[in-house]
Amino acid sequence: MEGQVIPIESLRFEDISLWHDGGHPVLKNTTFDFPMGGVIWLKSDEGAGKSTLLNALAGLHNPTSGSYVINDIDVVPMSFEEFLPYRLSIGYSFDYGGLINNRTLRDNLLLPLLFHHLCTPEQAYVRVDEILQRFEITKYAGERPAHVPGRVRKLVVVLRSIVTYPSFLLLDDPSVGLSDDILSNFVSWIDEAREAGRLSTIVVSAFDDKMVRPFDHTIVALEGHQLFVGSQVEKRVANL
Amino acid sequence: MSWMFSRIDNMGRFLTTNIEYTINVVLMVYVSVRAAVLDRAQGFRQIFSVISAQIYFTGWQAVPLISVLALAVGSILMLQALSNLTLVGGVEVLGSFMIAILVREVAPLLTAIVVIARSGTAVASEVGTMRVNREIEALEVMGINPLSFIVFPRVVGGLISVLCLSFYFNVIGLIGGYFLTKFFHEIPLGFFLDSLANAFSKEDILVFVLKNSFSGIMIFVVCCYQGMLVKKSPHEVPQVTTQAVVTSVIYVTVFNLAVTALYYLSQLQKLGLV
Repeated sequence: MEGQVIPIESLRFEDISLWHDGGHPVLKNTTFDFPMGGVIWLKSDEGAGKSTLLNALAGLHNPTSGSYVINDIDVVPMSFEEFLPYRLSIGYSFDYGGLINNRTLRDNLLLPLLFHHLCTPEQAYVRVDEILQRFEITKYAGERPAHVPGRVRKLVVVLRSIVTYPSFLLLDDPSVGLSDDILSNFVSWIDEAREAGRLSTIVVSAFDDKMVRPFDHTIVALEGHQLFVGSQVEKRVANL
Repeated sequence: MSWMFSRIDNMGRFLTTNIEYTINVVLMVYVSVRAAVLDRAQGFRQIFSVISAQIYFTGWQAVPLISVLALAVGSILMLQALSNLTLVGGVEVLGSFMIAILVREVAPLLTAIVVIARSGTAVASEVGTMRVNREIEALEVMGINPLSFIVFPRVVGGLISVLCLSFYFNVIGLIGGYFLTKFFHEIPLGFFLDSLANAFSKEDILVFVLKNSFSGIMIFVVCCYQGMLVKKSPHEVPQVTTQAVVTSVIYVTVFNLAVTALYYLSQLQKLGLV
């Protein structure tokens, strides 16, 4: 294993402000400790900034102020190379797009494994072929993204987020475009990975509970540019 | 008075915007080289495969167009030079004329314009489309730095291609031009080659390397930079591509003009005229 991976044990926003690219605030002076070691359902109204928040958690979008603390270290001032060991333990699935168009689906899945030498090339091919077989898309393996059905593209984006065996998984609208059979297969994969101790925390951003229903999950609500865990949201509603 | 301040304001805005843009472009050269050097995972094989693909598309595939252009320009320049120099009895300066016009001026400029038209547009639209399809974000998520994975190999491939194409332009322009001109005008090959050899100086190598290296680097950095400016919508791709062409042409032309002006200033200084 050549790529150095630092497992993510704690995540904390400290007085963070986060803005959309379009110029709308997502978070304002928010301090929040993410509950680790389980499944988190990130909920909000449409357009409140769930995807931007997931981007920030993946280190793709920097906050305008405040600190994003991973394992008690502020990662905001880090360069791409300094953040890389954390990034390698994060799996991220896009809500749309995100496949490398001039590579086949198999090469898309192989890319992170081979680029960072996370395993030997032989192990990488075996791992990718197992995943392709399990989700019954082997016949599309040699095709480029533009030549396969939309549901296959979406599935490969989701699968690429797990191919490196990340300990921290971020899923942006994972159920959109996927059939119930594929979702249940994916849920089984997550269960197996958690039992094997490979996967620790999963954050799912979705407008419905289709993906998180099978799991014992915590709700984190994005409301009024602040974050609340489920019980706090209920308290807030009760106090209104 | 207000019209005067308004004009000064506009001029200031124009200047600051362009200076800021130039700083960003130069910064991109630095950060892409830095990313490539610091990227421990990206092996030489991976970079080399992208560089060789870029050389194939930018260099090799442009050879037919460059051949036609070089032949045409070489012959036109030689025919025009001969028809005028014969009148004044100065055929012996044919070599100096061809070196000054073709090698120092026309070849770097035309090569750069061909590369901008063929490959600069392709790179700007490719990178812009990658932004729209979120491929750049996907690379970042996978821990692959887009600057070392996309920008650096394209710039290096572009630099090598422009240097080779410009050299090829000179060879075809001079030798091919000579053989085409022979249909209309008899000049001994030995006389022509001697004339070229006498006119050629080591400063010509410096001018060649300076002009073509700048073009090779700037065309591809500007085109990658413009592509990266796309936010989310496909309608931005043709806009940034057009802007990439305009900006690249301006940078290349201004730099070529500056080098030429400095070169002739230094020549005049050598002669003690300045």
